Amino acid sequence: MDDPQLVAAVLRRDRKATADFVSQHADGIYTFLCNRLIPRTDLVEDIVHEVFLAALESLSKFQGISSLRSWLLGIARHKVEDYYRVRLWEPLSIDGNDAEPLPVEPAFDEFIDREQVAHKVRQVLKSLPEVYCLALLWRYWENRSACEMAAQTVRTEKAVERLLARARKQFKRRWNEVER
Amino acid sequence: MSKPNADEEFFSRLAANDEAAEATPIKAPSRLKAKVYSALVRRQTAYGSLLSVSASKANGQSLCIFEKAVEILPVGDGIKSLNFCRVCHARVAAEKIENAPIYWPHCPYAEFQNR
Repeated sequence: MDDPQLVAAVLRRDRKATADFVSQHADGIYTFLCNRLIPRTDLVEDIVHEVFLAALESLSKFQGISSLRSWLLGIARHKVEDYYRVRLWEPLSIDGNDAEPLPVEPAFDEFIDREQVAHKVRQVLKSLPEVYCLALLWRYWENRSACEMAAQTVRTEKAVERLLARARKQFKRRWNEVER
Repeated sequence: MSKPNADEEFFSRLAANDEAAEATPIKAPSRLKAKVYSALVRRQTAYGSLLSVSASKANGQSLCIFEKAVEILPVGDGIKSLNFCRVCHARVAAEKIENAPIYWPHCPYAEFQNR
């Protein structure tokens, strides 16, 4: 069954098609959310739930311009950004010795094994204060500029840039520590 | 002091690497799939009747043993459109237990199991 057929069957309230809809897309949404909510993986299951319910609500608007998978990931991305927005809206209570210079710059020549690097990235992100982790994910994994992030929170662009600078520094420090 | 451009490149490369690694999906827990499916069907029944099991079968879908039993009953579409999973032990087991021991062919809850 292709995407438009599957959508039409779900809209006809065919229970079997609804099961196919979940079977085919739950893993993709789950993977995406696990990677974007690294510090709060406890939220992943609830958000997967919300994504599917939101998708069902607006399934009649699915036009098939993109694949159903991309469309669902778009909904998941909105949910993730809602979470980032709320967390970055809250006042920061970050301690840290950001004034310390970074001892060694992270090296690029270690980008040999993709899986190994991805594992290390997750390990380092998990070890960061939540707000730093979310700021980095929003900026680099979701490709949002500091200006866009500022527009969606009560922060100024300068404040977001300062937050990102601290987050990058902490990330790189931990990256080097994991290496050692 | 690190250069801003080097930082941008470093983090962009990490993100790009991660995106490639994401191509290998992480299996969602079968419990979660079961709960999501139950919630979607509950929501669908709130909008109106489900498609009858006979109509599902006519659309080429395979029925589980319980649905087959209902499908051959001499009853109207109203009965055949009920959400039978709601009272099925397979749903309860699948929502509570990861990799629940349910093996009914064509039961969605059995098919969600990561075996």
